[in-house]
Amino acid sequence: MSIPRILRRTVLAAAAGALCLPAMADLADIKAAGKIRIGIDLSAPFYGYVDDKVQPAGSDVDAAKLLAQDLGVQLEIVNTTNSARIPNLLSNKADLIISSLSITPERQKAVDFSIPYGAIQAAVGAPKSLAIKGIDDLAGKTVAVTRGGPQDKILTERAPQAKVVRFDDEAASITAAASGQTDIVAITPPIIAAIAKRAPAREFEVKFVLQSYQLGVAMRKNQPELMNWVNGWIKTNLHNGKLGDIHLKHAGVPIPKDIIDGAN
Amino acid sequence: MVDGGLNLHHLQFLAVGALWTVCLSLIAFVGGGIAGGAIALCRISPLKPLRWLTIAWIQIIQGTPLLVVLFVCYFGLSIMGLELPGLVAASIAMIIYVSAYLGEIWRGCIEAVPRTQWEAAECLALSRWQRMRLVVLPQALRIATPPTVGFMVQIVKNTSLASIVGFVELVRAGQLINNSTFQPFLVYLIIAAVYFAMCYPLSVWSRRLEQRLHFGQRAAAP
Repeated sequence: MSIPRILRRTVLAAAAGALCLPAMADLADIKAAGKIRIGIDLSAPFYGYVDDKVQPAGSDVDAAKLLAQDLGVQLEIVNTTNSARIPNLLSNKADLIISSLSITPERQKAVDFSIPYGAIQAAVGAPKSLAIKGIDDLAGKTVAVTRGGPQDKILTERAPQAKVVRFDDEAASITAAASGQTDIVAITPPIIAAIAKRAPAREFEVKFVLQSYQLGVAMRKNQPELMNWVNGWIKTNLHNGKLGDIHLKHAGVPIPKDIIDGAN
Repeated sequence: MVDGGLNLHHLQFLAVGALWTVCLSLIAFVGGGIAGGAIALCRISPLKPLRWLTIAWIQIIQGTPLLVVLFVCYFGLSIMGLELPGLVAASIAMIIYVSAYLGEIWRGCIEAVPRTQWEAAECLALSRWQRMRLVVLPQALRIATPPTVGFMVQIVKNTSLASIVGFVELVRAGQLINNSTFQPFLVYLIIAAVYFAMCYPLSVWSRRLEQRLHFGQRAAAP
């Protein structure tokens, strides 16, 4: 066996070993530690943001608080950025990710998802005067999206004629729409409402919903006990209305009925 | 969402973020300076392997985005079993980055000391280390000061990349507040002003040093 091959095998084995290690931490370890580390992006308004006292707030923050309380452990919020959510989980810096993370096949290759605990909608908003009814009407028009989000992907795939302008976060997309940089923005409905509030003269409204995504709690692979407990917790709190109240409080709309009905 | 706009809590949060930016800049400069000094000396060492090793280090780091170095330090090392807090990982990445640049800057400064100075020192029968310490380094130090201070401006600005590892410095603090108040113009203007307040004095200092140095050289010329 040549030396490079031995080296390659050693490196691969070490990497595989390292990857397997975090998977062993399961529900019992979290209970033993007395705290659960939950990764949340605090720059995703309505799901995670900071309030006027710069304290974490939002529907994902409240859900994380409720989860930790029900598990009987302390909550440690792992402050993550949008793109660092899954890396934080895989590198064992967080036990769970509750951060407006939609369940997608690509992500399921890397992490395990719970049953859906909520939904995020991708909608198109524009001033009242603009006649837009469907995705075909976007051809040739400039549409603002948040980079890497679900809206970005849908528009790139399904509206190739549209000129997609990508902004780094929701706040930048909102400002582009409110200041008149762009007339059309693809974002979540509560944020379209926020734009209407920021710039009343522009009369922003939801034109149509592109797609609804199911949000899941993400965890590292092969943690059956943790998965069972989280799924049970979601079912209980969807049916008793606690998760619904949290969503309503922050997003202004209830959790879609099919999510609640689906949790059986 | 916060309707009230920017308040005192927000400004305080930004101030703490600014403090972390200063803190990380200092760590990067001091740590990177020590490592960079060693690299500069190894880079001109008479030992060929040592020279090649440092050349490789400089080329690799200068040819890699700092963002990637940060990612490797924070997530990569963690997957390999080494748990590092955000500040430590960010500090290591910044030190690695600064060491490669300062090492190369200082190598240039040492080699900029006229060859005749080396030869004269050799004629006085000084050892290699004595030549370096007593003759070359004091002169190289004066040449090195302006570009070093100038590079400090880059360090301060590049600390903003540490936000990717969840480290809340000035830019990340601004992003969080911006996504809560939705007043990007005001928030980013404040951030720009704070960065300017940190960097401008450094730039002025760098220019002054440069002028003084030129004056000194002219005065010293026969």
